[in-house]
Amino acid sequence: MTGWNRRSFLAAAALVAVQAAAPSGAEVLRRLDPKEEPPPHCRMLMRLVADLVIPDTDTPGAGAVGVGDFVLVALAHGLEGTRRAPATDPSFAPYLRADGSLDHAGWLESRLGEDWLSLPPAQRHDRLAALDAAAFSGDPAAAPWRAIKALILTGYYTSEVGGSQELNYELVPGRFDPKVPVTPETRAYSSDWTAVDFG
Amino acid sequence: MDQSLNFDAIVVGSGITGGWAAKELTEAGLKVLLIERGRKIEHQLDYDTEMKAPWEMPFRGEGDADLYEREYAVQRLNRHFTEFTQGHFVNDAQNPYQTGPDTQFTWFRSYQLGGRSLTWGRQSYRWSDYDFGANKRDGHGTDWPIRYADLAPWYDKIEDFIGVSGAAEGLPQLPDGKFLPPFALNVVEQAARERIMAAWPERRLTIGRTANLTREKDGRGPCQSRSICARGCSYGAYFSTQSSTLPAAQATGNLTLITDAAVEKIDYDPKTRRVTGVRWIDSKTRTRRQATARLVFLNAGAFNSVHLLLNSATEAMPGGLANSSGVLGTHIMDHANTLSAAAIMPGFEQWTSFGNRPTGVVIPRYRNMETMDGTGHTRGFSFQGGALQSTWTAGKREGGIGADYKAKLRKPGPWRMVLVAFADCVPRASNRLTLDRTKVDANGIPQLRIDFAFGAEENAALAQAKADATEMLTKAGGHVMFGFDRPGAGGTAIHEMGGARMGSDPATSVLNKWSQAHDIANLFVTDGAQMSSSACQNPSLTYMALTARAAAHAVSLLKSGAI
Repeated sequence: MTGWNRRSFLAAAALVAVQAAAPSGAEVLRRLDPKEEPPPHCRMLMRLVADLVIPDTDTPGAGAVGVGDFVLVALAHGLEGTRRAPATDPSFAPYLRADGSLDHAGWLESRLGEDWLSLPPAQRHDRLAALDAAAFSGDPAAAPWRAIKALILTGYYTSEVGGSQELNYELVPGRFDPKVPVTPETRAYSSDWTAVDFG
Repeated sequence: MDQSLNFDAIVVGSGITGGWAAKELTEAGLKVLLIERGRKIEHQLDYDTEMKAPWEMPFRGEGDADLYEREYAVQRLNRHFTEFTQGHFVNDAQNPYQTGPDTQFTWFRSYQLGGRSLTWGRQSYRWSDYDFGANKRDGHGTDWPIRYADLAPWYDKIEDFIGVSGAAEGLPQLPDGKFLPPFALNVVEQAARERIMAAWPERRLTIGRTANLTREKDGRGPCQSRSICARGCSYGAYFSTQSSTLPAAQATGNLTLITDAAVEKIDYDPKTRRVTGVRWIDSKTRTRRQATARLVFLNAGAFNSVHLLLNSATEAMPGGLANSSGVLGTHIMDHANTLSAAAIMPGFEQWTSFGNRPTGVVIPRYRNMETMDGTGHTRGFSFQGGALQSTWTAGKREGGIGADYKAKLRKPGPWRMVLVAFADCVPRASNRLTLDRTKVDANGIPQLRIDFAFGAEENAALAQAKADATEMLTKAGGHVMFGFDRPGAGGTAIHEMGGARMGSDPATSVLNKWSQAHDIANLFVTDGAQMSSSACQNPSLTYMALTARAAAHAVSLLKSGAI
């Protein structure tokens, strides 16, 4: 994934804008400087990882709406603090950039195992679930997963599908109702900006 | 000299107070030049991101963190700064300032037509005599030359025009205003209000008083409960220069507006002891221009107004314009601000809310009023905050993957409640603004240097605030998770003020009780720079009231020939 770190704002903006409109791999790739292009297996890995976190249910999952590519762009631009130097863990050493930041995508690929893409789906799930469990039980060597997972959530719930089909989206509520009963059908609002910022 | 650039009055800065000065002076019949350093933003036409969804934004509303780190290192810390609103904040790399070695100060700025009126938090509170009497009472700073009674009719006037929604509570420390109907408390806040008041009758949780319209007013639409105000609001539902004062000033036919014009100096004539106009740099053509006027109002924002006075030093006034006292730049303040307590609020799971209320709640000051019951401090603190539910972002902190995890994030999360303290900041001479002559900006003007630190009073107030917030949220039925008792960096509250303080004595203050320079009768400073103390509630409404009052006084002096 080296060489894809410092893409220009405009190139990345174009990439993400294209994803939003039509999350087709071919379209995305055409907009990229070939030198900056993440290798196909890297895009495939991130897409599958995203889809395991947020799978298809009665609404499409993260893989189908281009979250994998969003995560790669977001990592290149340091969202979720990913361009800052990570807490030091000896296992990160092979994936540190010259500026001290961690190549999260390269780290994830290695952490899941070089054979991960060729594993049966159930084993891919189990390895990712194990990494998730380690990261959220405080294992410092698994900590970078938390930022990647956060970016998967951001990519999904700020997509049109995640934001307005999986959750509710209302740009112009028109009124404030302070007391609404919760029912089995109640869904959160992706447009509840206070909840997004401070929840 | 371009004779067409000769005015009755020049107003420097088009933000919250500049808009008011322009409105009041033009409505009094004066020919006014309103001059703004930033770009023009037209109401309704130029709020580019107002109706965008996250999926229409290059970085989904989160923004390019890399860019922000490089060029918006301070502004990105503002709670209203997002990819949607970044165009309403300055580029820090292009607008540098200096801080002293022991100073942490986040200076949040908006250089554009409307200034910070586009991005402000809209909380609108009257100050009381506990506030105007604070300096006299405990001896910090210099006594205000005015009291609440001097300002009350001007508060009426401002609220009548801008529209402030709120609930009357009859509290002497937070006088009621002329309110539009209030937004409602949600179920958790309503319960908290009742439980806190039952335990401590003097602690009154009430809805925030906000400059958002709850019904149509003077051609401005009611608030749509979007709570994305800082993008700009084409409904005109919150007070901004664009929605409110600028159209009024323009309707008089007396206003000339020049944008992209950074004022570098105020001209002063030592023979007449009057200012004669201003000079600016046209940022599009890089040319220097000037205009003349019979009076000048400084409304550049507290620190920039002081910067301008310091940079306008002349042989006659070597320490800065209107600085015979030597106190210009000193006694700057910002509220000491921290999250005092955050709690989980069980028992309300069957309820949620709809819409985005553009205000939180407030618990007005209750310490150090009739009884000096502050522990280690002599002034007040108040709380703002509210109860909210989490949404998908809470999933960032939770383990789990797959369909169950997705199903969980579909539901509104548990209720939480937060109380954020704003503590009165004692005015200190050591907290001050100076020019850093070793560092200049792109126009060759010395940069502003900020030296600022909170002290024992603010730390003691926030320690007590944390203890109080914890006991209140506990009494309200919450389980407190965490809280802090140390202030954020200076500037965090975005209530930076002082530096050209008001006072009765020309030897110890810059401005008199009319916001008029003691040294220069036709110079008025009516933004936050004029403040002699900070109170513990939001100051913008008071700045507006002082501006309207000063404008009326200036007009009367002009008409009588006194200036």
